[in-house]
Amino acid sequence: MSDLRLDATQLDRYSRHVIMDEIGPEGQQRLLESSVLVVGAGGLGSPAIQYLAAAGIGRLGIVDDDVVERSNLQRQIVHGDDDVGRPKVESAADYVGALNPDIDVEPHETRLTADNVATLVDDYDVVLDASDNFGTRYLLNDHCVLTGTPLSHGAIYRFEGQVTTFTNERGTESDTDSPCYRCLFPEAPEPGTVPDCATTGVLGVLPGTVGCIQATEVVKYVLGKGELLEGRLLMYDAMDMTFETVDVLSNPSCPVCGDEPAIESVEDVSYEGSCEISAD
Amino acid sequence: MPTEWKLFADLAERAGDKHVTVDASAGDTVGDALEQLVADRSELEERVLDDGDLRSQINVLRNGTNVLVEEEGLETELKEGDELALFPPVSGG
Repeated sequence: MSDLRLDATQLDRYSRHVIMDEIGPEGQQRLLESSVLVVGAGGLGSPAIQYLAAAGIGRLGIVDDDVVERSNLQRQIVHGDDDVGRPKVESAADYVGALNPDIDVEPHETRLTADNVATLVDDYDVVLDASDNFGTRYLLNDHCVLTGTPLSHGAIYRFEGQVTTFTNERGTESDTDSPCYRCLFPEAPEPGTVPDCATTGVLGVLPGTVGCIQATEVVKYVLGKGELLEGRLLMYDAMDMTFETVDVLSNPSCPVCGDEPAIESVEDVSYEGSCEISAD
Repeated sequence: MPTEWKLFADLAERAGDKHVTVDASAGDTVGDALEQLVADRSELEERVLDDGDLRSQINVLRNGTNVLVEEEGLETELKEGDELALFPPVSGG
């Protein structure tokens, strides 16, 4: 029986999971055997990293090339005051180490690019996009579509959040085609069109809510339980305290997952500006 | 009966409000309602339209359904009491 593989300390640590029929010792074992890459150790990444580590995701990769700034601490709760000036991946890895010794945490202090995306992503079961820019978001989407890697998407703006899950399962008998980020938003807005957090501000607790939903989706995906936000975009408004879901359908003319995709490799795209296919 | 637009993220700031009511009503099209929405709102118009065409990253909902994917796009005819929404992608993390 697989439950014998959880030792006494683990049975204690994860007892509130293990006791539930939907998870049980088998589900907990799946979590411990899974690997997740969190891209971005900021507002969304902080709660996601914390809950994934607490849940016992056995191998947790964290990608970020930034250092902690004091202005991050109002929302990036994996970092503390003493971490100001340290690389975010180091600070986050220390947090995970202190929280749960079961986790192999793998800090990647780098920026995700078309050149390193395969090396970084392909070693993990699931990717959680907690990045803060369109270039990284479109790059992750395209790579995950092309490699069939499940991707949790979350993004925030001032008091609002958007979150959805792309399983990127296509062409299997049981599934209708799964949509992707470009089905909804084929191209990114031109740089400067949508102001960033530094310009507009952001409610500190907002990414907490959105990042927790992303972590929830990843845990459910690993367990194979529940209804994912697949084919649905959840839009959260913290000011109105409303959640609305919009159907997301796969788009036959999608440039990366459509019937005749123009993007066959991340090399085809310049992940700057509108993230469209390169003119050449 | 007038039609209400709900605007998300930076579109609401450009419009000056999250909710905007326009005169378009049953029998008019979503495009008519959009034209009335952006009239006198140049910042919003610039963000939503490119030479009069809807920018590809802007999604238009009618009662929560994406008119660009599941209905007739901006030609979709309005019905009594329809609620319209516009949402853009956001990138903060």
